[in-house]
Amino acid sequence: MAAVTHSAPLDRLMRPLHHWIWSDRDRRLRKLLTFADVETDGGRDILRAAEVTPDPLLRRLYLEHAIDELHHGDLFRDRSAALWRARSGRRRVLLSGNPLPGGHGLDDLKIEGEPDHRLLAFLHVAEKSAAGRFAIYRELVDDDPATREIFEEILRDEVFHMNYTYTQLARVAPHSYRRHVWYARAKRLWNRYLRVAAALAGVAGNALLALMYFVVLPPFAWFAKRAERREAAGFLSVSRGRRDAAPRSQY
Amino acid sequence: MKILGISAHYHDSAAALVIDGVPVCAVQEERLSRQKNDARFPLGAIDWCLVSAGLEPNDLDAVVFYERPMLKFERILTSALRGFPRSWRSFPHAIKNTLGEKVWVRGIIASHLGIARDRILFTDHHAAHAAAAFLTAPTARAAILTADGVGEWATLTIGRGDRRSGGVTDIALQQEVRYPHSLGLLYSTMTAYLGFNVNEDEYKVMGLAGYGRPTLLSEVRKLIRRLPDGGFALAPEYFEFQTTAERSYSAKFIDLLGSPRHRYDPIDLASPDGQRFADCAASLQCVLEDVLVDIAARLRLQTGLDDLCFAGGVALNGVANARLLRESGFSRLFVPSAPGDAGCALGAALYADRIYFRNPDREVPDHPFWGPVVDASQLARAAHEDNQPVSELDDERINARVADEIAAGCIVAWMDGACEFGPRALGHRSIFAAPHDESIRERLNRDIKRREEFRPFAPVVTAEAAHRFFDMPAGGERLARYMSGVFPVRAEWRSRLAAVTHVDGTARVQVLERSMAPRLYALLEACARRGGVPILLNTSFNIAGEPIVTHALEGYTTFRRSGIDLLVAGSTVVSKRAPAGKESDAWSSSSAAASTVA
Repeated sequence: MAAVTHSAPLDRLMRPLHHWIWSDRDRRLRKLLTFADVETDGGRDILRAAEVTPDPLLRRLYLEHAIDELHHGDLFRDRSAALWRARSGRRRVLLSGNPLPGGHGLDDLKIEGEPDHRLLAFLHVAEKSAAGRFAIYRELVDDDPATREIFEEILRDEVFHMNYTYTQLARVAPHSYRRHVWYARAKRLWNRYLRVAAALAGVAGNALLALMYFVVLPPFAWFAKRAERREAAGFLSVSRGRRDAAPRSQY
Repeated sequence: MKILGISAHYHDSAAALVIDGVPVCAVQEERLSRQKNDARFPLGAIDWCLVSAGLEPNDLDAVVFYERPMLKFERILTSALRGFPRSWRSFPHAIKNTLGEKVWVRGIIASHLGIARDRILFTDHHAAHAAAAFLTAPTARAAILTADGVGEWATLTIGRGDRRSGGVTDIALQQEVRYPHSLGLLYSTMTAYLGFNVNEDEYKVMGLAGYGRPTLLSEVRKLIRRLPDGGFALAPEYFEFQTTAERSYSAKFIDLLGSPRHRYDPIDLASPDGQRFADCAASLQCVLEDVLVDIAARLRLQTGLDDLCFAGGVALNGVANARLLRESGFSRLFVPSAPGDAGCALGAALYADRIYFRNPDREVPDHPFWGPVVDASQLARAAHEDNQPVSELDDERINARVADEIAAGCIVAWMDGACEFGPRALGHRSIFAAPHDESIRERLNRDIKRREEFRPFAPVVTAEAAHRFFDMPAGGERLARYMSGVFPVRAEWRSRLAAVTHVDGTARVQVLERSMAPRLYALLEACARRGGVPILLNTSFNIAGEPIVTHALEGYTTFRRSGIDLLVAGSTVVSKRAPAGKESDAWSSSSAAASTVA
């Protein structure tokens, strides 16, 4: 397994960051919750692929792959729940999810209308990358045998996923499978860039709107609060104007 | 006249097509996109409606959106202003969310469908709810009650609907309760407090209520103040949904009811905390029912009408619906198959047809089956290709076989004709099992549905036999037509219907008339002849977190990866072959070579 689950150079470079994440129980828990969602969403996407592919062999393989992914989601969720229950300071707010937008399952890829070779190439690259990263995580959770065992099990499945996707890609696109893999790698990189860019744009947008909130809104807020005090609670008559609102009006 | 109704951007989006005053198709986007509660603009649903009716977008006379987006934006902005400065964190999110897509609905519809902007119309959110309830109900005149989280400003409306001679129809919503005072938001806040997903898991709170006692009534009544006019007002100090996106209840709410449950904490009913959560749910349920019954009873007195049409997300609460029927004075209570926002797509289209265009009233077929039809040949082909045992049988032999299998303790998935419009599986996309044995409930939860143990399963029963097993008031069969009411199981049958009897002795029963689903009705008769009762446990054909299946292949993949024993679609029956080994085993030998190439 070690031969096929070596990590990417970037992941090896980021090992200190991974160590920082997995060394803290809360961060570990948050990461596991994110994995649970991503694996489950990914499993559902692959399930969809099984439903739409015209190729019977691929349908069987996708189905098995989807079952694995959904099972992984359950494993991560159960482990998260166990870690949650074991937490001492329960009062702390636990943020869930990834700060970067997107990244849910295979949301970079539209399953319907996507040819099998493109999906297989995408899955192969994604599985290989995940296997490499999980191999690092497995080493970083030595202090937590239950979590380590989950990574062990998932890594075994990832080897199958990596291999069947590549073998099948070579079957369905015998003359161009290498090109499809490179294309999938490039697209993955581009999607990562887009996610980071969207996250940065989101932060900038939030900052701008927050500034506007404190600079522009105060006088309007004063009027709004004043009007609110005059509003009656309970049943209000629906005004004739409201009842006769024009069909084309958005107000 | 061809009118397309659309609901989108909040709960589950949907599209519905009305031609010459009669619905011809309606489907939720989630059923096609396979994303549970998909709230995105329903391109797939629109496309399916047009294709199935053989129309191009330009053939449409009007496209109607189910609410007025700018009025809703006004409410969001006003809410942020009123919450100043505490709303600073939710403001950017709310503005980006709204300005990103929601206020540009007219442009979105025009660009996607390529139709003239003057053919795009809007209805009030609660008018669409009212139309969905009244214009689909077989009644000439009725009082109307709508209640949900919030539409534009209204959260609850009352009024009446009339079908006059000559086909003229009128819907008049006369009074409303406005945001932030909302029964739906009160229920959602408790949903969040109990660690469930808001706008999705409210029915879990209702299920949990069965395990509790209303010991916290005085506390819950502090959350909602009753007013002399029959209305209500939420006590703002207990809520934060106006100011933050992260949490809908305040610190004072926690002081009142204790610490909230985290979604990963188990609900252990034997523990004090578990019992407290169940009591919270029971107390809230009781208060909700009290308010609804009071409002409905006043409405009955005001209108003097015998029928009540009820829609909005709150109308999904079957326990409250049954109490409304018993105590409000109305003889009949009509709740549509899709009372939530998805149903507004159909409601908006019907409202435009009858009210905007003043077209004469037409009788609407009294069934919920408006979605895509199952193609059994797809199932047969996939099962053959996968070497699963497939047989083609006539109806009589299918019924005999399914009745035998169910009697033997098997679990059967059943797909028949067009799928249901709305959240309930009413016999066209269902999983059936014997209603007798409690162990079947455990098996369903463990191997198929993978959901909380406290949630009950529902029965389906033939209309003729319903009163023998269930204690329903007059009008109860109508309410139970779309599984919208929870009624007591008669005491002498509870032990024999253990799989479908909730802990409090009730069941959310579906009463089936032969004309609505003849094949299922025949199956129920076959089960009765087999020595049992004309009742089956009926649960939706899906796995937790996924939408109900629509097409044959979705049913097939769900069947293959769950503990379902038999799958029936039309005349095709697929049973499960014991697994011969994982597909991966066959591929493991090539793994090393493949990986080195990669």
